[in-house]
Amino acid sequence: MQYTDFAPHDLILLLQGLGVSIALFAATTAIGLAIGLAWAMLRYYRTPLLSPLAALLAELLKNSPVLVQLFLVFFGLPVLLETELTPVQAALITLSGNTAAFIYVIAVSAIESVGRDQLETARVFGLRRWQILRRIVAPQAAAFALGPLTGLLVNQLQVTSLISVIGVVDLTKAGAILNLRTLKPFVVWTVIGLLYYLMARLIAKACARVETRLRAHSEWKGL
Amino acid sequence: MIHIEAVAKRFGSNTVLDGIDLRIAPGEVVSILGASGSGKSTLIRCINGLEKLDGGTISVDGHRVDDPKQLRLARRCCGTVFQLFNLYPHMTALQNVTLAPIEVLGVPRKQAEDDARALLASVGLLERADAYPGQLSGGQRQRVGICRALAMKPRYLLLDEVTSALDPEMTAEVLSILARLAASGTTMLFVTHEIEFARQISRRIVFLERGRLLADLPTAQFFAEDGGLAQPRIAQFLSKMTK
Repeated sequence: MQYTDFAPHDLILLLQGLGVSIALFAATTAIGLAIGLAWAMLRYYRTPLLSPLAALLAELLKNSPVLVQLFLVFFGLPVLLETELTPVQAALITLSGNTAAFIYVIAVSAIESVGRDQLETARVFGLRRWQILRRIVAPQAAAFALGPLTGLLVNQLQVTSLISVIGVVDLTKAGAILNLRTLKPFVVWTVIGLLYYLMARLIAKACARVETRLRAHSEWKGL
Repeated sequence: MIHIEAVAKRFGSNTVLDGIDLRIAPGEVVSILGASGSGKSTLIRCINGLEKLDGGTISVDGHRVDDPKQLRLARRCCGTVFQLFNLYPHMTALQNVTLAPIEVLGVPRKQAEDDARALLASVGLLERADAYPGQLSGGQRQRVGICRALAMKPRYLLLDEVTSALDPEMTAEVLSILARLAASGTTMLFVTHEIEFARQISRRIVFLERGRLLADLPTAQFFAEDGGLAQPRIAQFLSKMTK
């Protein structure tokens, strides 16, 4: 067997990379969702100071390249704070922040698409702001948000591949390692690409299922 | 008692309500007539506390609408039915009716649902209780809207052109319910273009014209030659509407 042949342990490397990508995606999605929704709540409750601050932060994050943000966090933050940062920590911070910014934008527009007349009606009936949020706004906004959210999540999954640049052994980095050793770029990158594709399909399918449930009330089932 | 005193409301330079004085006592049915843009709906929105007053005061059973601390108590006394129904589209008819009793009054779910089913049954919609608004006709939606308002056991029912978005058949279906409510002693403030119906059920008729209260008369007197009809604007309006 030649050094450039595929070996069984390559599969382990591949699976490890896949695991790292999935874990990072899941963690940054969860954190991003929590932060982005919290920012949207600041806006819903018109919190002075904090609400414009969240809007500014989201604006900065969504209008600059993720790679630049990653370099800033990985190389810049340790210098500024005089601490050490592992590549995984840097990746977690960057991707969570970036996801949060886009979640914020989606959440705000979804909240605003709930009809004003419904909010007024609920107010007239004596519901408090948080009751209106919980019973009127949230269920409808969630249904509105799922389409854009699906697009965002599929995109953020692809964006995780950027973290291979700072040395995190994710699926893309595993591909790079295998490629260097086997010198079979066409085979390696096809397999890596297919794995990303399958994950993306899985995300889209899961989102579509949730969306169908949230739109149970509506005759409109989408195109 | 709904007590409206010297109420003024402006949108920019446009004066929509100009010194409105009006009292509605428990048990009364009062209809508000007037052309589109005369301020009828704005008056209802002011009583609901949805518009900030630019002058005057409104109180409902002594609770000041223009005082944020008393507004909730004032709103608790009033039930509102809207021109475009304003049902919550993601909730079934039953959920639309039970939402406020459960969330605001703290009624146990089981009891709220029993009450709601009884209300829906009284307007002939019991078998549609689990339908979403999108699956109901306009007339059915408005009947759900009426049940939703009644579920809060309001002392005053505010009706804002509740049949304007309905065809004649659906209008009849909604009006028959309102007639029954009026006959049973429900206090109603009824903004409408249904003049003949207003004449049948109202104790008093109020006529608004460009934000001013042109007449506030007992029904018979409003339609009398030497009463409301003596005013040229009212006579003109009625002749156009009843043609």
